[in-house]
Amino acid sequence: MTAPLLETHDLVKDYVIGGEVLHAVNSVSLTIKRGEFVAIMGASGSGKSTFMNMMGCLDIPTSGTLLLDGIDTKTLDSDALAEIRNRKIGFVFQQFNLLARTSALDNVAVPLIYAGLGYAERRERAQVKLEAMGLGNRLQNTPAKLSGGQQQRVAIARALVTNPLMLLADEPTGALDTQTSLDIMAIFQKLNDEGITLIVVTHEPDIAEYAARRIVFRDGQVIEDAAVKSRRRAIVG
Amino acid sequence: MTHFLNAIAGWGVNVAIAMTALRTNLMRSILTTLGVMIGVFSVILAVAVGNGAQVSVTQQIATLGSNMAIVVPQPDSGSGPPRSTDRGRLTERDGEAILRQVSGVSAVAPQIRSSVQLVTPGRSANTQATGATPEYGIVSNITASEGRFLTDGDIDAAARVVVIGQTVADKLFADANPVGETVRINRVPFKVIGVLESKGSNLGNDNDDQIVVPITTLRQRLLTTATQGPDDVTLLFVGFIDEESLLSGQREIKRMLRDRYRVPKGRINPFTVRTTTEIAETTGQVTQIFQAVLVAIASISLLVGGIGIMNIMLVSVTERTREIGLRMALGAKRSDIRNQFLVEAAVLCVIGGAIGLTLAIIAAAIFQQVADFPAPIGVDTAILSVAFSAVIGIVFGGYPAIRASRLSPIEALRSE
Repeated sequence: MTAPLLETHDLVKDYVIGGEVLHAVNSVSLTIKRGEFVAIMGASGSGKSTFMNMMGCLDIPTSGTLLLDGIDTKTLDSDALAEIRNRKIGFVFQQFNLLARTSALDNVAVPLIYAGLGYAERRERAQVKLEAMGLGNRLQNTPAKLSGGQQQRVAIARALVTNPLMLLADEPTGALDTQTSLDIMAIFQKLNDEGITLIVVTHEPDIAEYAARRIVFRDGQVIEDAAVKSRRRAIVG
Repeated sequence: MTHFLNAIAGWGVNVAIAMTALRTNLMRSILTTLGVMIGVFSVILAVAVGNGAQVSVTQQIATLGSNMAIVVPQPDSGSGPPRSTDRGRLTERDGEAILRQVSGVSAVAPQIRSSVQLVTPGRSANTQATGATPEYGIVSNITASEGRFLTDGDIDAAARVVVIGQTVADKLFADANPVGETVRINRVPFKVIGVLESKGSNLGNDNDDQIVVPITTLRQRLLTTATQGPDDVTLLFVGFIDEESLLSGQREIKRMLRDRYRVPKGRINPFTVRTTTEIAETTGQVTQIFQAVLVAIASISLLVGGIGIMNIMLVSVTERTREIGLRMALGAKRSDIRNQFLVEAAVLCVIGGAIGLTLAIIAAAIFQQVADFPAPIGVDTAILSVAFSAVIGIVFGGYPAIRASRLSPIEALRSE
């Protein structure tokens, strides 16, 4: 438990577009400890999403170092990265990204397939997580038969089903109304209280106020990194 | 053991994912399967028809009789003015000489073949007449199922008697017993003394559509052309006591006939001596080539079906890029993604193959009923074809599957 959960040194991600090099993330060094609740903010194109994708081992840095749970991700091949995504990271997306025509239960069980678990155990674990999200009576519903908030809760259950160290949420409330957004933030705060590290990318300042630490990106660099002063508490409604 | 079970379960999951994906695009899946279905259907049917042809040929040769050589005169195809030896002739005396001089010969059956017309009051039939001796029955294993076959007495007396095949009997006499009745063959009245035992038909060739009359009678009463000498025959069947003497006998007959006709060295024999074994082999080869050609043509449709699978799998990969990205984000390894699409292609093909197989079995059964042609589909063919369709799926699904697995997770996730 000594190493920080995430540590970056001079992290760079370049994109070459039309012969011009774009520094999406330009030499970012920061540390995120276990149990933190971090909001990453910035305008679109500020590099916050690119940074987040590298944190989630979905994208590979052009240069610099990324230590995840003490492991230098440069040394890992695609299979090892897949395993880290499976075991240590849970993703929550803006558009929920649930499999269509697939029940909530089966959606939540998908990561467990890749963890190599058997059918019965997959269903049992998925059910437990869905019940914890208050969706115990929606197990067999397909995404089309769930509201936006319910879909996002299914997605959170899916992100949690392998008991990861951290949750990465990219604009998790972007497709939701205000009240539902608050519900989701309440769930995040509750999960954080239980010890899970949370990193939420958002461009909404009031959503960021539910986090404990705010990191602001501009032009690929961190321009602000501080604790949220008047932190808000959301109540599970 | 648990590792092994997990591996099986892992593939089971892939099959489940594949089934869901295929059900999602049901119409497209059905249309894609159609290609493989038609391919497998035609390949199996081609194999079955080829097998049937082989069975048929084997039966046909069995009806000729075993351990037999067939001597046929053959016109010389070389250049130069025609000579008597070139025309190719064979006589009853040649047959007698063969019986006397060649060792291991059990019987010689000289024959003259001619097309004839048979007439009974109110009915008529055209068929092939064989002018023969009782030896014909012995050598080619022919007996009368009703009445009797030819005797030496019939030959000596040039009796106007005829043994008719089952088909001819049906045509002329329907259900009545023809034995003892009179038929006119080329306007000459003959007495029916027997009906040949049925030998069925092979490859559309009706073995029962023939009649047998004494060789002497045919020569005197039925031959209209005067092209042949008084002793000439169309061909000789030479029966041997066993296969060994057949092989040596074949060479002996050739040598002897060359001597008898004083064929100069270097000239081709004006006759051919073929054994039933040779005929079986050549026809076997011919049917094998026939089968190979059929299967090759049918395989093209299977190939086209396979390309259809590849096409649809590529579309499917493109369409589901986002899903692939999501699965990668949730922990799918490249091999997981690859296997998912491989299994999907294989499932498509196996379903297509199974339906194609079923249709082929039905078609073969109908074919057998309607065309009276055997088209056997063995269990091996069935298993092989379904396994082969899975291979088609894996081969043609391979490229799309690998392409899917090579996608970058983030680019896949970002795609619309």
